[in-house]
Amino acid sequence: MRKLIILFIIVFPFVSHAQNLRGIVYGNEQDGKQPLPGVNIFWQGTNSGTASDGDGNFEIRKQEHQHMLVFSFVGYETKTLHVDNLNKLEVILQPNLEIEEVSVVRKNRGTYLSAMETIQTERIGGAELHKAACCNLAESFETNPSVDLSYSDAITGAKQIKLLGLDGTYSLLQVENMPNLRGLATTFGLTYIPGPWMESIQVSKGAASVLNGYDAIAGQINAELKKPDSNEKLFLNVFGNADSRLEFNGNTNIRLKGDTLTTGILVHGHDLSAKNDHNNDGFLDEPLSQMFQVGNRWKFNNHQGYMAQAGINLLWEDRLGGQVDASRNMTPSVDNPYGVSIKNNRFDAFFKTGYVFPNGRTAVAWLSNFSQHETDSYYGLTDYVADETRFYGSAVLTRDLDISGWHTLNSGFSFIFDDFDEMLYGSDIRRIEKVPGIFTEYTYKPNANFTLMAGLRADFHNIFGNFVTPRMHFRYHFANHFTLRGSAGKGYRTANVISENIYMLANSRPLSWKRDVMQEEAWNYGIAFVQNYMLLGRDLTLNAEYFRTDFQSQLIVDRETSSEYILLSPLDGKSYATSLQFDLRWQPVERLDMLLAYRINDIKQTIGGELKEKPLTNKYKGLINLNYTTNLKKWMFDYTVQFNGGGRIPRYPGDMPLGQSDNNFTSFEPYTIMNAQITKYFRYWSIYVGVENLANFKQENPIEGADNPFGPQFSATNVWGPVMGRKIYLGLRFNLNYE
Amino acid sequence: MNNKSIKEFKLKLNIMRKIVVSMLAIIMLALINPVLAQKKENKVVCFKSDMDCANCEKTVGEYLKFEKGVKDLKVDHASNTIRVEYKDGKNTDEKLAKAIEKKGYKAEKITPEQYKVIVEKTKAEGHHHEVEVHRERKD
Repeated sequence: MRKLIILFIIVFPFVSHAQNLRGIVYGNEQDGKQPLPGVNIFWQGTNSGTASDGDGNFEIRKQEHQHMLVFSFVGYETKTLHVDNLNKLEVILQPNLEIEEVSVVRKNRGTYLSAMETIQTERIGGAELHKAACCNLAESFETNPSVDLSYSDAITGAKQIKLLGLDGTYSLLQVENMPNLRGLATTFGLTYIPGPWMESIQVSKGAASVLNGYDAIAGQINAELKKPDSNEKLFLNVFGNADSRLEFNGNTNIRLKGDTLTTGILVHGHDLSAKNDHNNDGFLDEPLSQMFQVGNRWKFNNHQGYMAQAGINLLWEDRLGGQVDASRNMTPSVDNPYGVSIKNNRFDAFFKTGYVFPNGRTAVAWLSNFSQHETDSYYGLTDYVADETRFYGSAVLTRDLDISGWHTLNSGFSFIFDDFDEMLYGSDIRRIEKVPGIFTEYTYKPNANFTLMAGLRADFHNIFGNFVTPRMHFRYHFANHFTLRGSAGKGYRTANVISENIYMLANSRPLSWKRDVMQEEAWNYGIAFVQNYMLLGRDLTLNAEYFRTDFQSQLIVDRETSSEYILLSPLDGKSYATSLQFDLRWQPVERLDMLLAYRINDIKQTIGGELKEKPLTNKYKGLINLNYTTNLKKWMFDYTVQFNGGGRIPRYPGDMPLGQSDNNFTSFEPYTIMNAQITKYFRYWSIYVGVENLANFKQENPIEGADNPFGPQFSATNVWGPVMGRKIYLGLRFNLNYE
Repeated sequence: MNNKSIKEFKLKLNIMRKIVVSMLAIIMLALINPVLAQKKENKVVCFKSDMDCANCEKTVGEYLKFEKGVKDLKVDHASNTIRVEYKDGKNTDEKLAKAIEKKGYKAEKITPEQYKVIVEKTKAEGHHHEVEVHRERKD
């Protein structure tokens, strides 16, 4: 009662100026807008509010000084409107499909999602992940026009990706918005995230937001794993291919306290014990391997703004490649077969938490992860042993600077700790990186069509000193059909000179380096133009984009200057990468999705004093992806063709491998790869069968000097095309959902 | 052109041919599918139900589409209606009603005319359910 009286006293002086504002609230449902009852409607920062009635109608008193009207409803995005007059309002709320993510989404809207919208981004969702055989993160990109996937060498089975034609190390790899799989995990990390564990992947090109760190030079790839509070109760997957690779994936979600406290357990195991040497060069086409991974994650969400997630992951991996007769327990020696053995043990943990203040205009978030990685390996006669302990922590405060939400500021600090210890050629190399940093990013969004983001960060590196990272992005949507995006920014990266190039040991020439760690530095600029039309009643999207990266400092892998060594040396001269891409997405027939893409790469580096095309890089890439589903999606057909342009093979003076014909000695020709897959869905399970590399195209002679692996001509690192030919696979998925 | 480049050219031609054939096959398949589906007369049954949220709609839809003989399906929580098209002889109206009830929702059989009226009416008037329904999702 007393509160009412106080309220009355406060409100009374204004009552004379108050008038009634009327309107109607709709929810934007699948089948059009529907009146939404029970929506909370209130003047921002006050207690004066109302709720919409059964038909979505509402009436609220408006004081002269009150302008910001908030519409909030669980399951829908909160909307704030600037109201100047008493005209009848019609408000449409967008459903917030991931209800379980309300607090995160709202927090992200400021710190992350809005950034994603401003930056040219491709999202790879669950359905897309079903399109590829998709054993792990690396293979998920087979149907993607922007990311190229290739083998690092012909022995270890390590896979590399390229974004904008630049090596994967220039893209910031994140798991759940936290940097991950770097340092020692760089070489094999992409195979450490099982496909069935993933919920979605986002690929953003060009300089990323400063919130995520200083090291996204070419772009950023984020993998979101399955969440413990999702609908999935149990998921099981088995997979096998014609080369006797067997794989198992499973996960389960347990609701301990409704959807407030949930936990998920994830398991992965694979085994390849059969020796395959289809090209009869005496070497295994892919290494024998075993991997086991188990993860457990927890999520707490009080549905009132507070959320916390934590989890751990353990990984054991064992690879044995090389000559067919190599065995796990042999001693590396010239009298024994040539072998490459790699053992990895890894422990990962993460904790993140966020709170959105009740006014919805301020949010705080904390993100952190920890990893411990041990590698024990040998390549022929050379041992490489390393371990790494890494910690990352970041705190972000998001604030809307004004009531209208036009101006938002994200600020915070981060800390990176990295203890790296490696042993190669008998020398023990140890370093510790400690990088505290601060950052701030301002977002100006006066309306839904325009966003401008400007970010700045300062980092205080214990080895490389202090440096500043400026970045800027804008997005402008106009004339209903067009979206223009631009970005520019600086990026830095710590190059772990040895560990990142460790697969180079599958080569007769030893590695030679001046510094075991160095900082790379580059500017990246990009522009993208997207057009959306309706063609024959179906959406047509046309995209054109251009990105340019200019390196000021870079680690150059020089395989060409010296016949004695592979030189890992700092850039001395120019180095740049340009990427021009066009893509078209349309449905020529109902339920037949078509993607056509074409990209031209121009990547040049100064190697040995001469500006040259970067070796083993395709000059262009074309992609056709067709995906057809029957009515009710009981069958899915998928077909992908990749056209890969030719490129240059690095050669050193006096290099003349045996069995290599002259005309493809210094360059390789364009080649085509095709994949196809059919999936049949049943109520609780689905079965898929597919073929990789349908046309059975293989690089001839991927291992040079294979008949004398300890001799001077041996090299397994000049790999530009597929090592393995046509491969048939079959898989089963089973899933059970909560209702 | 020497022999080798002719061979390479032929190889490329062969690959291109394969691509074109595969693409055509997929497009043909896509075109033929609806034609085949309409060839045989399908039976249509409509129900009035009590699903209230988009999630319930999804649950019912995902379950019903794998009932025997189901060829087409329209599940709508706003008008609370379900329309099933199925192959005659493969299933019955009663069995489909049971399947809906098994998921915990009402399945009151209505005629296609009644169905049409309800759907039209909902479209014109909008979403007509209780405030309570959305409130539930809060917990």
